[in-house]
Amino acid sequence: MFEKVVIANRGEIALRVARACRELGIKSVALYSTCDAESAVVKFADEAVHVGPNHPGKSYLHIPNVIGAALKTGADALHPGYGFLSEDPFFAEICANNGITFIGPKPDVMEKVGDKAIARDLMQKAGLPLLPGTIEPVGTVDEAFDIAASIGYPVIIKAVAGGGGRGMNVVRREEDMARLYQTTRATAQAVFKDSAVYIERYLDAPRHTEIQLVCDSHGNGVYFFERDCSVQRRHQKLIEEAPSIHLSDGQRRDIGERAVKGALSVGYTGAGTMEFLLDDDGNLSFMEMNARIQVEHPVSEMITSVDLIQEQIRVAAGEPMSVSQDQVKLSGHAMECRVNAEDPDRDFAPAAGTLDVYVPPGGPWTRVDSHCYPGWSIAPFYDSLIAKLIVWAPTRPEAIERMDRALSEFQIEGRGVRTTIPFHRRVLANEQFRSGDVSTDFVEHFMAREAAAVAAL
Amino acid sequence: MSDNKAQHKNPDRDMIESVWAEARDLVRKLEGTTVQRFAVAAGEYRIEIERGAPVAVSLPAGVAASDGEGAIASGQPVATGAGPGLGVAPGARTASGVFTLGDAPAADNRIPVLAPLVGTFYRASQPGAKPFAEVGEVVEAGKPVCIVEAMKMMNEVVAGETGKVAEIAVENGEWVEFEQVLMYLEPAEA
Repeated sequence: MFEKVVIANRGEIALRVARACRELGIKSVALYSTCDAESAVVKFADEAVHVGPNHPGKSYLHIPNVIGAALKTGADALHPGYGFLSEDPFFAEICANNGITFIGPKPDVMEKVGDKAIARDLMQKAGLPLLPGTIEPVGTVDEAFDIAASIGYPVIIKAVAGGGGRGMNVVRREEDMARLYQTTRATAQAVFKDSAVYIERYLDAPRHTEIQLVCDSHGNGVYFFERDCSVQRRHQKLIEEAPSIHLSDGQRRDIGERAVKGALSVGYTGAGTMEFLLDDDGNLSFMEMNARIQVEHPVSEMITSVDLIQEQIRVAAGEPMSVSQDQVKLSGHAMECRVNAEDPDRDFAPAAGTLDVYVPPGGPWTRVDSHCYPGWSIAPFYDSLIAKLIVWAPTRPEAIERMDRALSEFQIEGRGVRTTIPFHRRVLANEQFRSGDVSTDFVEHFMAREAAAVAAL
Repeated sequence: MSDNKAQHKNPDRDMIESVWAEARDLVRKLEGTTVQRFAVAAGEYRIEIERGAPVAVSLPAGVAASDGEGAIASGQPVATGAGPGLGVAPGARTASGVFTLGDAPAADNRIPVLAPLVGTFYRASQPGAKPFAEVGEVVEAGKPVCIVEAMKMMNEVVAGETGKVAEIAVENGEWVEFEQVLMYLEPAEA
């Protein structure tokens, strides 16, 4: 096992990783930018290194400083968290070259699964279902017309190198194809420096369903069931839950086994997530693989009682996983609300500031993953996440009640600070949400209905 | 605090002075490290210092009450200006942390030279070469005073102002973090 792990991240995930290290008896090193000097992880970790000014490009993303901090402290491994350098194969390789174990997949595997076209090809070969469409990039507009005609409109054109909802366009009618094909290519070139695009069937209202898995270097892979992350706005997830109430036990086992097989087929090691779209007829289609731990991993931890960060660290150290597939039992229902410093009444505009009041909820089966404390300032340089509030209950309706109770306890106040708590409570009270009939267009429609109701007053 | 010379016979006062001196020395040594808070204790006296925060000296309650002077007693901050703590932009960090107590030595006006990145500190361009700067030498603004190496890249660190090298704060070959104090210069006019 490692002796010392450097955490190349900030905020709640840095603290989450440091806590896992402490429980495993591993020393942790926090990295911090200037404005994060008083952060919770700096106080909690065994050591801390100042790696640069506030701008992430000069601190958390500045590879020489991050590597330097690992070497300075004699750390034998590095946990990248999510975001920042977590899916950068070049960085993972530099870690290896400096004798630091990167806690994640091997650089070449990360590179393969990070390329959507390659990942789709590999996963289809491994037996994962794909949406009708192309795997190879579409080279000409004529080709685009042919493909769209064969799979039927609407289709979506996506940048191969895209992500985060950027570099994609939906084509509903043939006459829009030529224009949108060119636009998507131009955007892809401008944003991702790669004009390659592919085309696939577009689902208007799919459910975002993803499989959590972990693979070790001994050929073992375990799936930790699925999460439904359909409550999202502009591809930013707001509420995640596990399991999905739309999968049968048979489907759950089948897709889990295929996901693990797909991951093992490319030599994947560490924690990863396979994203699928679930259509109204219950068909799952593989979309992409995320080669990192995700923000919403706690919901999977809550229904399986497995600490995924600890598993990540274990397998990176070359140890076998602590659990086998038949030991992982799905129990109850878990839900996570992301409490962000955003104003839902002003189109989720950032509403950061100093938290004069910060009183997190407690009580049974209520978990708060957060780096905040009274007096902490949410800085404008980084994301707006204040806390992840996670609850568990035996059933989904009980989880909803528990979540609402916990949200009602959560006190966050500060000059200029607004949070997504009121939004979450309104969603939890919504009949459609309660019925579970939620797809990725839910928030858009929900907000439109609310606006209409206000206008009608 | 104004007439504390008159109090010099007071053994408590001497004790406080000595703890203070010890603390001041420690603050200098800790400049640029990640230590946020430390405490020095001698007898019944204890000084706790938190970086960037007001400094407080606490005395046993009885002493404070009978002392009658009250300036340092009762846990009141005796000095602020703990110097630029973490979170201060490099440009604002023109002097190292300094604490004053009554007529203790005047504020330190030394100019810290800060590490521009995380890496290894070297005093010379290569092993065996003459160091860029020695203590007591005057270095000109813009001239290299040391190197911080990161990932095989040699990054020259230059003096921001002309000054005499007062102290080299880091051992040759030691790892330094961002904005760690590498050396102190005394302003040329001093």
